[in-house]
Amino acid sequence: MRLGKSRTASGRVRRWLWILTALTALLLLAVYGAPFICPFDPQGQDLSRSLQPPGKEHILGTDQYGRDVLARVLSGGRVSISSTFLLVAVISVFGSMSGVYCGLRGGWPDRLLMGIAELCLSLPGIILAMAIAAVLNGGVLGAVGALALVSWPKYARLARSRTLALKNSPFIYAVRLAGDTPGQVVRRHLLPNILGTVLVTAILDIGTLLMELAGLSFLGLGAQPPTAEWGSMLSSGRSMLQLYPWLVLGPGLGIFITVVLFSLLGDAMRDCLDVRRVP
Amino acid sequence: MKKFFSLLILLALAAALTAGCGGDKKPEPQRNAGRVFTFGDTTFNAENEEPDVNPHNAYAGWACIRYGIGETLFRYNDKMEQEPWLAEGFELVDDLTWKIRLRDDVAFSNGRKMDAQAVKECLEQLIKVHRRARGNLNLAAMEADGQILTLKTSEPEPSLLNYLGNPYGCIIDVQAGITPDGIVAGTGPYVAKKVIPSQRVELEPNEKYWGGKPQMEKIFVQTISNGDTLVAALQSGQIDAAYGIPYASYPLFQSDKYKFTGTATSRVFFGQVNFASPIMQDKAVRRAIALGVDKGAFVKTLLWGYGEVATGPFPDNFTFGGKNLRTEGFDPEKAKAELEAAGWKDTDGDGIREKNGRKLRVRWLTYPSRQELPLLAEAAQSDLKKLGIDLIVNNTADHNGVVKDPKAWDIYVSAFVTCGTGDPLNFFSTVCLDSSTKNRGGYHSDRVEALAQEMKGTFDRQKRGELAVQIQQELLDDAAFCFFSFLKMSMINKAEVQGLKAHTSDYYEITKDLSFK
Amino acid sequence: MGRWLPERLLRLALVLFSISFLSFGLMRLAGSDVVEQKMENRGEAVSAEAAEEARASLGLDQPFLVQYSVWLKRAAGGDLGRSYVSGQPVAEAFWQRLPNTLRLAFMSVLLTAVLSLPLGILSAVRQNGPVDYAVRVLSFVGNSLPNFVVALLLLYILSLRLGWLPVISDGTGWESAVMPGLTLAIAMGAKYIRQVRTAVLEELSQPYVAGALSRGIPFARLLWGGVLRSAGGTLLTMLALSLGDLLGGAAVVETIFMYGGVGSMAAEAIRMRDYPVVQAYVMMMGGIYALLNLLADLGCRWLDPRIGRGDM
Repeated sequence: MRLGKSRTASGRVRRWLWILTALTALLLLAVYGAPFICPFDPQGQDLSRSLQPPGKEHILGTDQYGRDVLARVLSGGRVSISSTFLLVAVISVFGSMSGVYCGLRGGWPDRLLMGIAELCLSLPGIILAMAIAAVLNGGVLGAVGALALVSWPKYARLARSRTLALKNSPFIYAVRLAGDTPGQVVRRHLLPNILGTVLVTAILDIGTLLMELAGLSFLGLGAQPPTAEWGSMLSSGRSMLQLYPWLVLGPGLGIFITVVLFSLLGDAMRDCLDVRRVP
Repeated sequence: MKKFFSLLILLALAAALTAGCGGDKKPEPQRNAGRVFTFGDTTFNAENEEPDVNPHNAYAGWACIRYGIGETLFRYNDKMEQEPWLAEGFELVDDLTWKIRLRDDVAFSNGRKMDAQAVKECLEQLIKVHRRARGNLNLAAMEADGQILTLKTSEPEPSLLNYLGNPYGCIIDVQAGITPDGIVAGTGPYVAKKVIPSQRVELEPNEKYWGGKPQMEKIFVQTISNGDTLVAALQSGQIDAAYGIPYASYPLFQSDKYKFTGTATSRVFFGQVNFASPIMQDKAVRRAIALGVDKGAFVKTLLWGYGEVATGPFPDNFTFGGKNLRTEGFDPEKAKAELEAAGWKDTDGDGIREKNGRKLRVRWLTYPSRQELPLLAEAAQSDLKKLGIDLIVNNTADHNGVVKDPKAWDIYVSAFVTCGTGDPLNFFSTVCLDSSTKNRGGYHSDRVEALAQEMKGTFDRQKRGELAVQIQQELLDDAAFCFFSFLKMSMINKAEVQGLKAHTSDYYEITKDLSFK
Repeated sequence: MGRWLPERLLRLALVLFSISFLSFGLMRLAGSDVVEQKMENRGEAVSAEAAEEARASLGLDQPFLVQYSVWLKRAAGGDLGRSYVSGQPVAEAFWQRLPNTLRLAFMSVLLTAVLSLPLGILSAVRQNGPVDYAVRVLSFVGNSLPNFVVALLLLYILSLRLGWLPVISDGTGWESAVMPGLTLAIAMGAKYIRQVRTAVLEELSQPYVAGALSRGIPFARLLWGGVLRSAGGTLLTMLALSLGDLLGGAAVVETIFMYGGVGSMAAEAIRMRDYPVVQAYVMMMGGIYALLNLLADLGCRWLDPRIGRGDM
């Protein structure tokens, strides 16, 4: 049982964490600050400049409409990253809340919620997500909703098992004896204890879920043009891969860099907080 | 431990199943063994309603006629006019009676002679099982006498010959029956030997073909529904010719090693205006869209030149096609002037015009399953922005649901085959009359109603063409529809392939002339 | 044992029933149906009456609960119906395609093991050396590329540039399973390299290793003997963990390679709103998932009679 910040993380691990945090902040700054920094309008068409290879003016070249690919990748990143954040926030908050509730409450609500969770896991997740996204008729939010429905059970189960383990531990018993009300116990001791695990799991999930969201868009079940999004950009650039590889390179690199950064960040945070990896 | 067991079970299952299936490994198409031709096609699959090659089944007639299995009584020429094929000629006895004289030298692939009796049996079966054909042909009675077939319709049907030329009109021997996999005995140069739905058709020459000797020993039609895979298959030489290569990949094949054959079809990308929407009731706005979208640039840059700018619903090479129409081309200045005159001015300097405090915002509804439509939407968005129109694109798979709500859209842009039968009336009665099922925007014109009514009773081909031109002109003058571009249908084949030619109708592909150099 | 099995079977039936209802409802919430999807694919007009007739012939004009009860009655009698699109009996279509998916799963497990085992061991043995770093970077790269990007790259390199593998893979031969299998194996293998490395490192740090080394037993023998045996178990367990992913999660990869497995069948059916196929997939796959779990439990109980008196 560990309370508060870990004191074991060595200086090296800390420094690494800081470097990664700075890099991630830089990425987010580039993506979200692009409208103010980037000289090109991601929607600005100029058919006379279509499909120019990467060069001095257009670092990542231009697309079929003569739009600057770099500007498109950055604005696509806004959609991709924002929707992933939304998705992760929804499933980690809702999932762990319901898990904590189930763990504390027990009884039929517990059985009901866990039954629903089991149902969500009784089919291949991606197929279920495809079906839900199809029902929600595409769109970025449709894809987010679809993936949220298939990925929340993981957090619910995680939070529930942690809650159950803590509920019956001598530590909680001790603070109860010391006079804390049940509400205080949950707020002061239970939640902070689960928070670390959930946070690390969530950050490690960002990469995976970003790829899954892009995958749905790639199959035409997520973002649709004219919305720029990495998955749909890859999908529309796919048939031009051989002749105009930069159309695929841009969004591909975007996904790759983001996923790498967030997995490294998650790993580093885990080491720092000393939270055991959850499969 | 538990997981370990699941793995063991899975592996055992996989091993057992794959061992069980190893025996019937299909023979790979023999490459380079004489005159064997492999044709990659995106369309032969059940999702596209071509589950087999039986013309009496859904749209499978397309497969039947394209792959040279079946032939029709009349066929289309390059101008989409009827020419005799299995028929030698016809005589219109009265408004309801047609006398058709059949060729005397035609036999089905099973050996039976094609006479009037056989054709009668085929058409009887067709109208019994095929709803679309029954509705089009309106047949009341048939008589067979040697090679003379007499058809009686229940009401005057000026387009009867057009409908007989539709792929469902492929003449097959119904006595020979239809195998469970949908193989039929037709009169074409090739005979289907094996049909695997959504995967492959195997063809062999029809030794008794009436038109001459087919050149290929064996033909494989391979379904490759993904355009990029099709590209790779042609590049790697796995197929000899391809139908449905994405435009973007055309430059890959611009070399001596490949040949292109293409022609404009009547598949048009067009917009229907929603007359229930207040903003679209303003003619200046409708005209601005018609004048302000740069169709030429769209075709050149985004369709890679493999389209044709549309003026009306029919391509220029049709007798009643776009060349007969009076229109203005791309003219953004004129569009701006008309918007100004109608009171649409940009008063707050945000680049978007307003009138009575209302922004000039047009909702463009389209769908992603046809890849050119989103391209068109994005191009139009940029073009119209320059005129001060804020185009909101709603590109959704749920377009069928959205279009039902007249408050949810202003212009609906879709792809549509306007003239599959060579008969222009079909398009009008589908989209622009009060009785039309696809008159989505609620367009109404007294004159168009009257002209269409007149056309229904007109047998004279030339007069019908004139009426068709008049109706088109009305539609354009009202700015009720915007026609953007026709799709060019193209096939790409290896240079050594000869005799593969794209046809305006999009029907005929494999013929007896197909050969290797 | 007496009561345990019937209870599990009852629960299985309950889960199947629930998901069948869920998917039945879900698909009908979608804005369009198979008649409209087909019409859109053709791009030709169909009269409203013809469309209604087509709907009526499929029973789609009936109220939802009537449709469901009709389906349930037939399904209970073992008849899962025919595809709205191809007309083929759906159960037959499923069993025809399942071997292809199993073959793909087998191929990816095999390739994953081939990739991750040697690299993971190498990385552990050469801990913190240049080889270790190279392998770790490699595994990170593999883990950070979406499978559809990997698929595009493999298609481009292996089929087009090198011409080693056929472009068209309909799923009927081992050859056609290589590329989709490799796509799946790259992501999975990248993950397992790290796990194998950790497992081997843990094993190497055991006191018996140091002891054995000090007794003069060659390192190689030690590695191939004890260390790998225990690390191998870990790897197998981890591979089994990916089973679900392999059976169903291959849908994206199957679709990209046009590989004729059950995953791509389900994806296509969802797109076309081909309800009977979706239902059949849900029932069969749900059943297979549950059955695999059940068999694994049974196996454990059979091996170890101590479990399962009261805890299952």
